[in-house]
Amino acid sequence: MKGDAGKIVRVNLSDGKVSKEEISEEVRKKFLGGRGFAAKILWDEVSSVDPLSDGNKIIFSTGPLTGLPLPSSGKMVIASKSPLTGGYGDGNIGSMAAVHLRRAGYDVLIVEGRSERPCYIAIQDEEVKILDARDLWGRTTFEAQDNLEAKHGRNVGILVIGPAGENMVGFANVISQRGRAAGRPGMGAVMGSKNLKAIVVKGTGKIPVFDEEELREMGKEGYREIKGKENYDFWIRQGTMLVFEWCNENSCLPTNNFREGTFRFSKRLDGYALEKAKVDRKGCPLCNMQCGNIINDAENKNSELDYENVGMLGPNIGMDDLRKVGVLNRMADELGLDTISLGSCLGFLMEASEKGLIDAGIAWGDLDGCKEVIEHTVKKKGLGEIIFEGVRRASERVASGSEDWAMHVKGLEISAYDCHACPGMALSYGTSPIGAHHKDAWVISWEISTDRFSHSKEKVEKVVELQRLRGGLFESMTTCRLPWVEVDFGLHWYPKYLQAVRGQEISQEEIFKLGDRIYALIRSYWIRENRSWSREMDYPPSRWFEEALSQGDLRGYKLDRARYDEMLSMYYEIRGWDENGIPQKETLEGLGLGDVELVLGKND
Amino acid sequence: MTELKFLGYLAEIYGRKRAEIFVENPRKLRDILEVEFPEDRSIVLINQRVGNFDSIIRDGDKVIIMPMISGG
Repeated sequence: MKGDAGKIVRVNLSDGKVSKEEISEEVRKKFLGGRGFAAKILWDEVSSVDPLSDGNKIIFSTGPLTGLPLPSSGKMVIASKSPLTGGYGDGNIGSMAAVHLRRAGYDVLIVEGRSERPCYIAIQDEEVKILDARDLWGRTTFEAQDNLEAKHGRNVGILVIGPAGENMVGFANVISQRGRAAGRPGMGAVMGSKNLKAIVVKGTGKIPVFDEEELREMGKEGYREIKGKENYDFWIRQGTMLVFEWCNENSCLPTNNFREGTFRFSKRLDGYALEKAKVDRKGCPLCNMQCGNIINDAENKNSELDYENVGMLGPNIGMDDLRKVGVLNRMADELGLDTISLGSCLGFLMEASEKGLIDAGIAWGDLDGCKEVIEHTVKKKGLGEIIFEGVRRASERVASGSEDWAMHVKGLEISAYDCHACPGMALSYGTSPIGAHHKDAWVISWEISTDRFSHSKEKVEKVVELQRLRGGLFESMTTCRLPWVEVDFGLHWYPKYLQAVRGQEISQEEIFKLGDRIYALIRSYWIRENRSWSREMDYPPSRWFEEALSQGDLRGYKLDRARYDEMLSMYYEIRGWDENGIPQKETLEGLGLGDVELVLGKND
Repeated sequence: MTELKFLGYLAEIYGRKRAEIFVENPRKLRDILEVEFPEDRSIVLINQRVGNFDSIIRDGDKVIIMPMISGG
């Protein structure tokens, strides 16, 4: 089978050993690539370990479409056992590192063990070296990127962590190209725990493809189709920031730690404010609908904004100035902190201060206070000592009922959509395979366009369908979903692309089964690694059930716990999981995961 | 007066983000708009309830027309 090298490069930082392994045809068929490979490797190799110990592994996984001349295909998945959640964690990143890894002849890089001193991994085709990174340790992600480019040239792919990852902050991420970020559930902390500062990749080979000419032609046609879409120009102007006004109008803009869904200063932060402040834009490799909007921040430095970081570092913390939001966003990128989790942690601290639950407080919208907290988070001192492991642990420290408004699911902070009046999206957050994140199933448009307040089976089925496509297919191909979801690029292209790349047809049934298999395996991983599993792990925070919106057109709305529970049971039934969300034996067998069933049986 | 609000690129199709129109006799939304929208990619809310371009609009209604976005 063409379309991937079928090769893993494995680097053990404890003994310096580098090995290369084949990926069996069976695994390639059953798991496709990207997230599928990562889930399979973690299931097989990482069990019952402390995520920050040398027993954990971090996986950099590409898919059959990665690096090819196809719309927005410069992506890879970074996965590990998460120090933030204790379960499966991953994130996808657009980076030249993804393209170069494929050109170097590898689909997957696994890093295991722990280096005695700071190091980085340099891959150039067949050659894999572990190099000294003591001069990089303590540097920001931007400085480290500059330094590594000076050493290795600019025609390389670089993944790097900042001081947050080095100091193992729970929501430290991985950064590339000065602002591309991935790995919300602490993937940067896992690298830091291994004393691994960076990965530099250069590949000069050709990515194997079954029908190169056909693929090239279809790729060109795809790029043309995207540019011709009626909302393409608007997208280029605002990117994901077009969501901001939309969410405010629909009462789902996270405001004051997800208390409200509308922000009275929204016009100061929305996509039109961004257009005025914008000085440049950038994006991932192979993309013709770049979404990175760069503004000049309040400290006259460039900051790359998108909706998630403006939502969480703007209204969610009462910040009403886009250039100030830019400062916090840029600091997070430099230090290697996830902006969504950071915005949630800051909102949590502000609310705790307002309620008088912590001594040295911080007010809503306090820029200097936020800057200090960010610096202290990385150093684990002051207020940073409360939040450096995320809001779940912060609420355990603060107590006094703060668990009810610590806005996370399974330990991962909720991304920038308030769900007081979006039951389908609440279910999506509740059942996301990494904890509360929107990438797998963003269902708000669909639920507003049908019956927003219903808890119907049809809505649950929609969540599952989106998870199969966004969380299964796109995360595993591995390519960006935005052409499809944002400008309506034809979904029908992707099976054709896969066929041209691998020479094998893939049906819709197989695509759905792939997604179900990956979901069942990841769910099994969570259960195996969390011995105290229950269906409550799939609940959103109490705030959305207990405290109604007090502002906007939907004031008075909140989620209904009993009806959410009904939806959750429907969800389990569709997935073939039991009433505690545990995949049933026959479900696993039907998905070709019979061996997983046996291990689960042992744990019972 | 009937309030019309357009979000995102749909505002550019209409030419304005907001409009107030006196609807003397109830009539279909598409007849009021007189501009073609990508209907399969649009959401219509009338007084916060789901409608469509054939919904009957009465004076005093609040109408929002917005794109089916996908939240990144």
